[in-house]
Amino acid sequence: MIQDLPPADPAVVIERSITTLNAGEPVRVSAALTNAEVKVDSGFQGASIVLYGAVFNPTDAPVDVVVVVRGPDAPLRLVRKVQAGPFWLNSRPVVFEGAPGFYMTASTRPLSDIANFGQLRRLGVGVDHLRIAAPEERRVETRYGVRDVVVSRLGDDYLDWRRAVIRLREEGGLYATRPEGVTFVDRGLFRAQLDLPTTAPTGAYFAEVWLFQDGEPVASSNLTLTVRKVGIERDVYEFAHRRPWLYGVLCVLLAAFTGWAASRVFRRG
Amino acid sequence: MDLYLPIAEVSVNWPLMLMLGAVVGFVSGLFGIGGGFLMAPVLVFLGIPPTVAVASQASHVVASSTSGVIAYSGAGQVDFRMGGIMAAGGVLGAFLGVEVFRWLRLLGQADLVVALSYLIFLGVIGSLMLKESLEQIVRRRRGLPPPRKDRRRPLWLYGLPWKVKFPKSGLYISAIPPLALGGFVGVLSAIMGVGGGFILVPVMLYVLRMKASVVVGTSLFQIIITTAVTTVLQAGRNQTVDIVLASLLLFGGVVGAQIGARWSGRFRADTLRAALGLIVLLVGIQMGMELIVRPSDMFEIAPGAPE
Repeated sequence: MIQDLPPADPAVVIERSITTLNAGEPVRVSAALTNAEVKVDSGFQGASIVLYGAVFNPTDAPVDVVVVVRGPDAPLRLVRKVQAGPFWLNSRPVVFEGAPGFYMTASTRPLSDIANFGQLRRLGVGVDHLRIAAPEERRVETRYGVRDVVVSRLGDDYLDWRRAVIRLREEGGLYATRPEGVTFVDRGLFRAQLDLPTTAPTGAYFAEVWLFQDGEPVASSNLTLTVRKVGIERDVYEFAHRRPWLYGVLCVLLAAFTGWAASRVFRRG
Repeated sequence: MDLYLPIAEVSVNWPLMLMLGAVVGFVSGLFGIGGGFLMAPVLVFLGIPPTVAVASQASHVVASSTSGVIAYSGAGQVDFRMGGIMAAGGVLGAFLGVEVFRWLRLLGQADLVVALSYLIFLGVIGSLMLKESLEQIVRRRRGLPPPRKDRRRPLWLYGLPWKVKFPKSGLYISAIPPLALGGFVGVLSAIMGVGGGFILVPVMLYVLRMKASVVVGTSLFQIIITTAVTTVLQAGRNQTVDIVLASLLLFGGVVGAQIGARWSGRFRADTLRAALGLIVLLVGIQMGMELIVRPSDMFEIAPGAPE
C-alpha cells in the first residue's frame, strides 16, 4: 500500500527516433516536466504540472504531438445497479485485474484525426484504446473471503463494464482526454498541462510524448513523475497502516481526553 | 481553508467540518443523544467515503459521551453495574459488527445494509417518538391529565436465569436482556456509526423500566465503551479511521454539546421529544430514499480490500 519510492530523479528524458523520413536528420522530440515530484501534504488541493518540449523537424510535413500520462495500475472493483421490486440493489462485484489509477491524453488535434484506429490501438493511446487488464476467460476468485467475478475480455458485457470504468473515472477527474491540450507556444516548442485531482493515487506515473507525421508515429520520449505523501500526511498514513491497533487506541484516547477537557473548561466557565 | 485528509484521501473545507461538528454537537447536547445518526449521512453527502465516515465519527461519539458521563456520574446518575453488563454485550456486538461490515463492504452490499438499517431503525423509533410526544402535547393543550403509566414490566424479564440486583436502577432482573441489548447496539454501532442511544434509551425506559433518572447516564456509559472498542477495531481491521477528520468533528462537537445542554432547559420535554422524533424520522426516510430513487449511473466503483 505504501509507495516508498526512491528520491526524485530529475525528469528522465529518453530520446528515441523510430523512422527516418528524410535521409540524414530524423524527426526528434525532447520533453520535460516542470515538476517531476508531486508532494501530497495537508494543503494538497490537486496539482497542476506543465509538460513542455521541443520538436526537431527538418522535414516539411507538419507533426502532431500526443502526450499520454498513466498513473499506477491497481485492481478495480465495480458493481452494477439491479432493480428488485422498488429497490435498486448492487450486483455482485466485478473485478478488473488492473486499470491505471490515472490516465490522460492531450494532443494537438483530436486523436482520431491524427492516426487511424489500428495505430492508436497498437500504441494504447486514448481512453478507447486504454489497456485495462482482463483475462481471456471469466472466472470467479475468492479474495478476502468474498467471491468476485473477474471480468473477461471476451465476455458479452465486457464493453459495458469497460465504458463504466472510463466514465466513472472521467467524472472523478482521473481520466481525461484533451483534444487540444497540446499547444505550440513557438515554432517547435510545445506545452501541455497535466491536472492531478486530490484523489489521484500515489505512486509512479509515466508520461509518453509521441510525434505523429502523416498518421505514423515517428518519434517518442518517456518521462516519469512521482506522486507521494510527505510530512504529517505521510506520517499519519504510515502510522495508521503499520500500527493500526495503536493508532486506534490513540484516536480513542484523544476523543476521551477532548470530552473530559471540554467538561472541565465549561464547568469553570 | 482546505485540508487534505490522510486516510479519507480527499480534501475538505476544515471550518465547515468544525461547524458540522458543532451543529451535531449542539443537537446532541440539546436532546441528550450522541448524534451519530445525523453525522454519518451528512459526512457522506459532503463526499467523505462512507466507510471512513462511519469509522471516524465513532470517536466523535466517544468525546461527546465522555463529557456527558462526567456530568451524570457527578450527580450519581450512572448505574455502573447495569452499564458494565450492557457494555460487555456491546463489545461482543462490536467485534461481530466490524467483521460483518468488512464482509458486506467487500460484497458491495454495505450501502444497502446501512441504508436499510437507517430506514428501519430510525423510521420506527422516529415515528413512535413523534406519536407519543404529539399525543402528550395535544393532551397538555386540552388540559387533560397525562395518561396513567403502565408500570408493569414484561413477565419474561423475570423468567430468565442469572438474576442480578441493580440497586441504582431499582431492578432485580436477569443479566441476559441487558447483555443482549448491549450486543445488538454494538453491532449497530459498527454498521451505522452510531452510539445507539436512540434505541437504548427507549428500551431501558419502556421495556426494562429502569429508574428514569439513571437511564441517560447509564446509556452514555455503555456507548463510550462500545464506540471506543468500535473505533479501535475499525482502525485495526479496516484502517478507516481518519484522525484528522475525527479531531475536526470532535473539537466542534464538544463545544456544540455544551451549548446545546444549556439550551435544553428552555424547552418543554415533550416539545424536544417531538422535534427529535421528527429529525430521526426524516433522516431515516432520506437514507431509505436512496434505495428507491433511480440511480443516475447504473455502475458504481466498489471499495477494494485493504492490502
